[in-house]
Amino acid sequence: MPEELSSTVAQNTLIPAALVAEICPELALAPLDPTELHRYLGYPREGSPAPPMAERIAQVVAEAQLCLRPRGAYAVYPVSSRTAHSLKLGDTTISGNIGEYLKDADRVAVFAVTVGQEISLLSETAAKSGDTFSALVMDAVGSWAAEAAADALMLSVRRHLRDEEELTLRYSPGYCGMEISQQSRLFQLMQAEAVGVRLMPSMLMHPLKSISGLVGLAPKEAVSSYHSPCDLCPRTGCPIRR
Amino acid sequence: MTIPMQDLSALRQAVIEGDVPASVTAARAALEGGVQPVDLISQGISPAMAEVGKLFEEGEYFVPELLMAARATKEIFVILRPLLAQAGSKPMAHVVLGTVQGDLHDIGKNLVAAMLEGGGFEVTDLGVDVPPEIFIAAVKKRPVQIVGLSALLTTTMPAMKATIEAFRAAGIREQIKIMVGGAPVTSKYAETIGADGYSETAAASVDLARRLLEVC
Repeated sequence: MPEELSSTVAQNTLIPAALVAEICPELALAPLDPTELHRYLGYPREGSPAPPMAERIAQVVAEAQLCLRPRGAYAVYPVSSRTAHSLKLGDTTISGNIGEYLKDADRVAVFAVTVGQEISLLSETAAKSGDTFSALVMDAVGSWAAEAAADALMLSVRRHLRDEEELTLRYSPGYCGMEISQQSRLFQLMQAEAVGVRLMPSMLMHPLKSISGLVGLAPKEAVSSYHSPCDLCPRTGCPIRR
Repeated sequence: MTIPMQDLSALRQAVIEGDVPASVTAARAALEGGVQPVDLISQGISPAMAEVGKLFEEGEYFVPELLMAARATKEIFVILRPLLAQAGSKPMAHVVLGTVQGDLHDIGKNLVAAMLEGGGFEVTDLGVDVPPEIFIAAVKKRPVQIVGLSALLTTTMPAMKATIEAFRAAGIREQIKIMVGGAPVTSKYAETIGADGYSETAAASVDLARRLLEVC
């Protein structure tokens, strides 16, 4: 394993304003629930594919899962200042409704996770050979796994909670009133490159199956009153709406 | 020769169920039994895909079922294409597809490619992050009737406009129809950037491509 990927929990020297920064070179994903994957494929919550199709999907899923390389990085910052439409961590100001959503958090973790480029290459190869069905299922496995990697990384972030604290919901650029352009600010605040996540000029992350975002560390009683971020989104017909 | 519809019921059923080997076997059997390629399309493939589209619209079928049916149809067209050429039929329309420069998302574009191939179109897929000059080179290389541009991000949508402008600058914009799609794209945006058509779903892109060709 390359030196820079060895797991470290330390005062970060590159980003001194951070309270703590950690690189997690391997994340353990929760087991894949087929019905959850079916939702990524567009099946409704109350409906599943017929048995022959479910079996076809399961075969591709088994192959795709072998290609996942989940890993991540985060850094925890004290909130320097905030307004309803901005949040300042260290010297970096992030614009958007995030200031409002994280109003109860006195510390915020900036994070990035990825499941690696391998799953996207596998999907691409299938598509090139004309097997669009497998390509679609592989892509869905990658999307599911990226979310599962974020869930797994949160277990590490949780270790920094104090008594009577809880993590807030996660918020990502491009959603919930935070412009995708804010992605570059997030990347200044953590070592995403150490786990191989790069930001392209279009603000798209490479590998494709990566997630970046913010999560607050806040008093339990404030967090328990949070609603799903999906309540803020107008796409009511979204298959993965929570 | 007109073949009674029931002779092709096994083929239609296989396509509807997305059973690729059974579809190919049924198509070969029908051709060996004397069914003409054009009849196999009009009375086998077309009604089967219409049924698949109906099941999708009704919420019985979802994208995976759609893709399997399109795959079955594509494999039948592989058999039919040389036979149609032999019979002097007009070649199928050629569509060039790609995800525009700066964007790496390819699933939506792949779905469109699969559905168009299932609909009998010949598709050249240029992949992702395709700069305008590659689109232009593909159109200059051999006859193309339709160019499809895909983008998934608000930050990469402007590359669609840039690509259309590059076609204009190269003097070949009028030779082709341009259709666009992707999550953030709307019909209004398509109109604004000077595209000829917009499709919200991969399933609807086949109808859109057919409509665009009617006015070619």
